[in-house]
Amino acid sequence: MFLNVQLPWNVIIPAENLDAKGLMLQRSIIIRLLDEFASKKATKELGYYFALTTLDSIGEGKVRQHTGDILFPVVFHGITFNLFRGEIIEGVVHKVLKHGVFLRCGPMEHIYLSSTKMPDYRYVPGENPVFLNEKLSKIGKDVVVRVIVLATMWLEVEREFRALVSLEGDFLGPVSSF
Amino acid sequence: MSGEEEENAAELKIGDEFLKAKCLMNCEVSLILEHKYEQLRQMSEDPLNQVSQVFEKSLQYVKRFSRYKNPDAVRQVREILSRYHLTEFELCVLGNLCPETVEEAIAMVPSMKTKGRGLDEEAIEKMLNDLSLIKTFE
Repeated sequence: MFLNVQLPWNVIIPAENLDAKGLMLQRSIIIRLLDEFASKKATKELGYYFALTTLDSIGEGKVRQHTGDILFPVVFHGITFNLFRGEIIEGVVHKVLKHGVFLRCGPMEHIYLSSTKMPDYRYVPGENPVFLNEKLSKIGKDVVVRVIVLATMWLEVEREFRALVSLEGDFLGPVSSF
Repeated sequence: MSGEEEENAAELKIGDEFLKAKCLMNCEVSLILEHKYEQLRQMSEDPLNQVSQVFEKSLQYVKRFSRYKNPDAVRQVREILSRYHLTEFELCVLGNLCPETVEEAIAMVPSMKTKGRGLDEEAIEKMLNDLSLIKTFE
């Protein structure tokens, strides 16, 4: 699920980047914020930091004592992405293994659908391995599957989330309209 | 795998800050990015356009999974769904998955069936009918 959140942030501009003209300063702040936002990637509390949308306000700059940099408190709106336990999502299969498949949804790539959570589907090995059921419904690379989220996990070192999903439920499974 | 307060979106147990946050449907994210992000990106002096791989893939995902492409249609979808006393979260799940029948809608958003919500099958049917009209005219 994508969320539109308002966040406070502190942007630090090195003294040498400061310009007398106000417009250049705002530009510096935006660029700095864009870079930091992009490199942040994700947090445990809010999920993935996907895109910055608006810069709402720039507060008064404060000089930092020892470095001479200026700290600007800003408030902005950004789009974040999070998966919730019990949420139903549509993901694209990007990897097929003997015991399950990996789906991609939004910025998340490590969404695992285990074969134990794909009732009636069995693994068919080959150059393009797939999972197949009796009605010849296929789950393979690039197939869109609607699943329910069983659990999510935050990995501190990689700064990433993992998720476990399942096909067990009504109206879940491969989706053909894409 | 932990769930501190037993998080469960099917019952709308997803933490206060998320229940109150503004959720976005894939089609809304797609439209926002088409306008705003290009603007902001152009301000960056970086000629190599260091937009990360992850961002590109997410952008592809959002474009592919936008059920509605036309900005007016997207606006109408939110407007229609807003009339039915749904939470932001429920609204976006419906707007993203576009269930075709009442049974499917309830399977996608089980929290709608909670007692006292005032969302009987008739109301859900009407909602789905209104949504399908938008699709026809998109």
